[in-house]
Amino acid sequence: MEKLTLEAKLENLDKAVDFINQQAQLQGFDKKKINQIQLASEELLVNIINYAYPDKKGKFEITCSTKESKGLEVKIVDWGIAFNPLELPEPDTKAPLEERKIGGLGIYLVRNTMDETNYTRTGDSNIFTFVKY
Amino acid sequence: MESKCSVNFKEGIAKIELSGKLDATNSPGLQAELQKLIGQTVARLVLFAKDLTYISSAGLRVIIFAKQKIGVNAQVYLIGAQETVLNVIKMSGLDNFMVIQDSYEE
Repeated sequence: MEKLTLEAKLENLDKAVDFINQQAQLQGFDKKKINQIQLASEELLVNIINYAYPDKKGKFEITCSTKESKGLEVKIVDWGIAFNPLELPEPDTKAPLEERKIGGLGIYLVRNTMDETNYTRTGDSNIFTFVKY
Repeated sequence: MESKCSVNFKEGIAKIELSGKLDATNSPGLQAELQKLIGQTVARLVLFAKDLTYISSAGLRVIIFAKQKIGVNAQVYLIGAQETVLNVIKMSGLDNFMVIQDSYEE
């Protein structure tokens, strides 16, 4: 199990995503799956960086662990305002570009690329977990 | 690969060269470049993506922004996109509203 805690700032996005990428590589995933894990990680972390802490002061904690020998479980915790991304309405992917609304696309990509996604609010923390096999 | 983007606008055609990553860190730079085109008559938005290795929703948003704010009537072209990028474009349904080609003929 590997853990990383960083300040929730855009400058730390690369460092956080690289950390998860490294774990995905150790797990032996192919290029396509690593790209999907990178994408899911960015989408969730950017949400936290942009919205979890209105005063822009706070942290997130990433924990990567092996799931059922061939899977990777990534747990991302923050202590910001309660927010369940899985409750966002799905974007209309059939709508033409000129009618597209901007929100919800990121979490839609997370749901569509990961095998499991889960959110819980525990005490003062948001806990989001995703698994890729 | 270093992430870079450049916008070249001539005779109604906006050519956008992309390389490296178009993520939450790099997308604001492209958006700022594209904002300069507001008010111009843009017939084509051509995204050259041969060297683009990664795109996230932040990058998709810039493409949606470009279509909505710069070229409502513009045709969007995506040229030479790699599979990883194309997968994300397809997942979000943006492929239905673009001309996707391996290469671009003037």
